[in-house]
Amino acid sequence: MKTHKSMLYTAGIAGLLLTLGGCASPGEPPDSELQSAESSLQQAVAADAREFEPVLLNNAQNKVADAKKLIEQEKYSQAERLLEQAAVDAQLASARSDTAKAKHAVEEINSNIESLRQQINPDQ
Amino acid sequence: MNKRNITLGMAMGLSVVLAGCASTPQENAMVDEARASYAKIKDDPDVARSGDRQLRSARDELTRAESLLEEGEDTSRIEHAAYLSNRHAQIASEQAERARLQKQIDSAEERRRTLMLDKRSGEAARAQKEAEMLRKRMEELQAERTDRGMVLTLGDVLFDLNKADLKPSGEQTVGRLAEFMREYEDRRVRVEGYTDSTGAESYNQTLSERRAQSVSDALVSQGINRNRVETKGFGEQYPVTSNDTSTGRQQNRRVEIVISDKEGKIETR
Repeated sequence: MKTHKSMLYTAGIAGLLLTLGGCASPGEPPDSELQSAESSLQQAVAADAREFEPVLLNNAQNKVADAKKLIEQEKYSQAERLLEQAAVDAQLASARSDTAKAKHAVEEINSNIESLRQQINPDQ
Repeated sequence: MNKRNITLGMAMGLSVVLAGCASTPQENAMVDEARASYAKIKDDPDVARSGDRQLRSARDELTRAESLLEEGEDTSRIEHAAYLSNRHAQIASEQAERARLQKQIDSAEERRRTLMLDKRSGEAARAQKEAEMLRKRMEELQAERTDRGMVLTLGDVLFDLNKADLKPSGEQTVGRLAEFMREYEDRRVRVEGYTDSTGAESYNQTLSERRAQSVSDALVSQGINRNRVETKGFGEQYPVTSNDTSTGRQQNRRVEIVISDKEGKIETR
């Protein structure tokens, strides 16, 4: 009986290990993902995402904060996904902010050209 | 007995596996979205030029999402890959847009530079034209260039002997000057009276002042603001020629009108 019980137990563990192996990568905390998400966030802030894409930037920041909590709870694979998403969210925020600034620059230079043209040819 | 229990245990474990990973339908909205995002940009030359790295990541994640979907993997894994793919596609598209805008900025910058040059040469041409106009108008006034600036001399003939009233012909000359001053609003004038050396010095001093004043009054009566006109009597000082002959004396009896520069400054004697 004793052996039967322990065999059952072992088989159960084996099954559980399969579960873990199938759905999640256990083990290492996602340090490099954390680093890359944080540096993407910094770049987004530097690209003035706070002004141009505040919602997307906030989302990314929240994801990093949530991921840190998950890391404390050793839920690494969930944390890793959040961090990967945070990184692309932040990169998109940067890219959109850059585009917005470029649009402003186009408008500015065009109005500049228009006023120059009017100074040269006031009748037109 | 043993074997049965082992099998049972394995089955339990496997069922957990299946429950954990879940069987997925072959359709997933997020994968569809990622596919559409990728399809939209994959043939965009601006994306190829400026967002190639992100485009590649979008494709790789999309492939991953599709194969996970194919294998019936966990929805959250599939959707995670789809999410990343979609974001990479969006970033690539922004980078392409940014590059297009940069092209516009560059060509606009070029246009602006050309216009600046046009403007500067236009301004130079206009300034030259204005200077030319001014010179012509001064010529019409018969003003002469002197150390003190442009000076217009009203001869003795504009006044009666020992009188300060301007004769009609003098009025005409003053009229031309008034017209000039209306056109060039930043110019001011100083009207200077001079006499010959005949008679008492104090009398001549007063006469020169009164004659200058009467020219000034004529200008004001033609609508020139009084603060643009100064007067000064020099009496017998600064003869232009000898007082020994009557022609000389006649030349010395005069009113000079000194025209200011365009800042309104007039050189004093």
